[in-house]
Amino acid sequence: MVIEGFRAILSIDVIFIIFAGVLLGIVVGSLPGLTATMTIALLLPFSFGLSPVSSIALMVSVFIGGMYGGSVTAILLSIPGTPAAAATVLDGYPLRKQGKIGKAISTATIASFSGGIVSVTCLIFFSPILADFALKFSAAEFFALAVFGLSIIASVSGNSPIKGLIAACLGLLIAMVGMDPLTAYPRFTFGTTQLMGGFSLIPALIGLFGVAEILGSIVEKNNIEEKIKVKLDNTIITLREGKGLIGTILRSSFIGTFIGAIPGAGADIAAFVSYNEAKRWSKNKDEFGKGNLKGVAAPEAGNNGVTGGTMIPLLTLGIPGDAAAAVLLGAFLIHGLQPGPKLFMDNGELVYGIFAAMIVANIFMLVLGLSTIKVFAKVLQTDTKILMPIILVLTTVGAFAINNSMFDVYVMLGFGVLGYFMRKMDIPTSPIVLAIILGPMAEENFRRAAMLNEKSLSFLYDRPITVIFLLLAIITVSSSYMKYIKDRKK
Amino acid sequence: MKNNLLFFLLIVLVLLLSACSDKKERSDYPNKPISIIVPFAAGGGTDAVGRVLAETLKEELNQDVVVVNKDGGSGALGMNEGLNAKADGYTLTMVTREVVTLPLLGTAPFKTEDFRYISNVNYDPAVFVVSADSEINTIEDLLNTMKENPGKLKFGASAVPNTYSSQFALATDVEFQTIPYQGAAPAITEILSGGVDFGLYSPGEVKAHIEGGNLKALAVMAEDRFSGFHDVPTLIEKGINVTSGTYRGIAVPPDTPDEIVNTLEKALKKAVNSDKFVDFMNSSFLGIDYRGPEEFKEMIDNDINNLTPIFKNQ
Repeated sequence: MVIEGFRAILSIDVIFIIFAGVLLGIVVGSLPGLTATMTIALLLPFSFGLSPVSSIALMVSVFIGGMYGGSVTAILLSIPGTPAAAATVLDGYPLRKQGKIGKAISTATIASFSGGIVSVTCLIFFSPILADFALKFSAAEFFALAVFGLSIIASVSGNSPIKGLIAACLGLLIAMVGMDPLTAYPRFTFGTTQLMGGFSLIPALIGLFGVAEILGSIVEKNNIEEKIKVKLDNTIITLREGKGLIGTILRSSFIGTFIGAIPGAGADIAAFVSYNEAKRWSKNKDEFGKGNLKGVAAPEAGNNGVTGGTMIPLLTLGIPGDAAAAVLLGAFLIHGLQPGPKLFMDNGELVYGIFAAMIVANIFMLVLGLSTIKVFAKVLQTDTKILMPIILVLTTVGAFAINNSMFDVYVMLGFGVLGYFMRKMDIPTSPIVLAIILGPMAEENFRRAAMLNEKSLSFLYDRPITVIFLLLAIITVSSSYMKYIKDRKK
Repeated sequence: MKNNLLFFLLIVLVLLLSACSDKKERSDYPNKPISIIVPFAAGGGTDAVGRVLAETLKEELNQDVVVVNKDGGSGALGMNEGLNAKADGYTLTMVTREVVTLPLLGTAPFKTEDFRYISNVNYDPAVFVVSADSEINTIEDLLNTMKENPGKLKFGASAVPNTYSSQFALATDVEFQTIPYQGAAPAITEILSGGVDFGLYSPGEVKAHIEGGNLKALAVMAEDRFSGFHDVPTLIEKGINVTSGTYRGIAVPPDTPDEIVNTLEKALKKAVNSDKFVDFMNSSFLGIDYRGPEEFKEMIDNDINNLTPIFKNQ
């Protein structure tokens, strides 16, 4: 069947389209503010003239490339190109500070590739099972998943749980601004239209990570000169190092596929959950956050695992799990194709063509990723005095481009100042990101679950998946706390 | 020699003056790219309509037409920006039904009447759907079940406040519970897994599920049957005199000159009838509904009348 699929895409123009799609995806993914979703939506009217296989192959390639591209800027500049790459900063940027960019990027590339391949394999063989599972997710399950996600704050908080908690509460407070998700009542908007949609995630993300880093580099002049002296190392990971990552990569790939298959839970959550699990199963928990290769491999395998996972509810049920998948659904409809069980029977060749295209796209991603490390090293050798202003311009353009709004640029700068002071006080910034992503999800689904359950809270204990996630949340928080107590006694 | 130079300068002067006078007349509109503000994010239905309209308008106006997404406040942000743009015809706004609902809700910094409406291009009637496993098979079944168990059935709303269901409830005097979702996709997922009983969505949002046999369509809230669903009756056919749906059109700031409005109106009419637009809309199950300035304004006024009692009650 898959061989049939390869036959469907084996022509020079389709292969070229896939290559161009991956390249375009990597570029937009690495630029903060430009997203794969935006690019796919832009391509939709053009895909009208292409054949169904090539138009969907193009969009899927952009999606796959974009997911990977986010990690490049996360590692090199500590600016996640996409929210899904926010977890990659945790260990990727420390590696870059040590000069090990070859190791960091090759790990990210190989992990992304493996995540992509594992998820496509799951898509080919386990779609129906995973789709059934995805349909079991109702408001109560989403609430529990969000709570589990929030509990990860405990494991990304570094040495001080209190500081992590401060950041988390600040994040939840920020996430409350905007229209109430269930009644559309404006909250904390001070009567302005600008704040009705709340603070956008991406400008906040660029500010907290990128602008804060730039501000830091201005103030801490001396450190910069030291930083330049760090010799950049292009060498990629050794076979032995790679072997050590296999377990982490496989686990994260499955987590990514699994979470991707749940409509409404995306790559950002998958990346953080993968990171958390990598840390949980590691013997050297203390190395995380200081430049552990597993800390790069886990979120990257996790977020690229989502690429195949997202396709499962889309192809088998016609349910788009996120905005990018919704545009893909539009592309199917334009070509007169109805995603659903019948698609596999009536257009088997097309479906397997898409699977084959995803595999080819992942291979291109691997090749492009590994072959551009030297180029990135060249860019980083630029004098900081020149590089930092360029990055500031790019981040400003990115924050503006996400919604064509100057307000978002101010949001970015505001969060940059916030991020700078947080760094000064040694308060971790990733809890804020988790809280902004998961806070609204938890709130909305808790209230919705109560509404669906005739205002009773029994959904907290009488639904198996909900119970499992809530237990995982308790375990994550308590084990992090126990470790903290133990460390303090030392 | 001197004479030649003088002659040359004169020619330049004449050219310059003629160039200036040209600009004053505006007869060359459009002479630079036009942007359409889409008040929602890239990837949604409004964005899709905006993009295909931009593509087809480009051919009619011989100028680049670009889509500018400006999401926020359920459309309030983008529409407000479009309203306050320069009234020179280079910034158009894609208005949606929110242009009526947001001012009624009091969450928009503008009034519905502030815009100068040029043309409506799309109308998507609301479609009643239930899960394929549901015991409800017709709209009568649904109504009877609601009457027998008031307030028991659960409705998966794709947005709040939900105008479709409120208009339906007002016309039929039935009671049901509204469970709000962020968009149609999660609400439909809930119907498929049995969490909620019925839903009201746009044709494009449910077409794939109906064809795929996951959902059953019970009725359309339109004057006429929807072209994609010939065997689905309208509520009017069943004696319930109510229509509801969402629409999308182009509006400009109020002081835009008549000449420009006329040019745009002609171009929009041609664009909506172009093969490219028709093909795209039909294959995406988006309803084509062209209305000129007067008809569009009339539709908006009617909608204000229909929706005012609903928002007053809330």
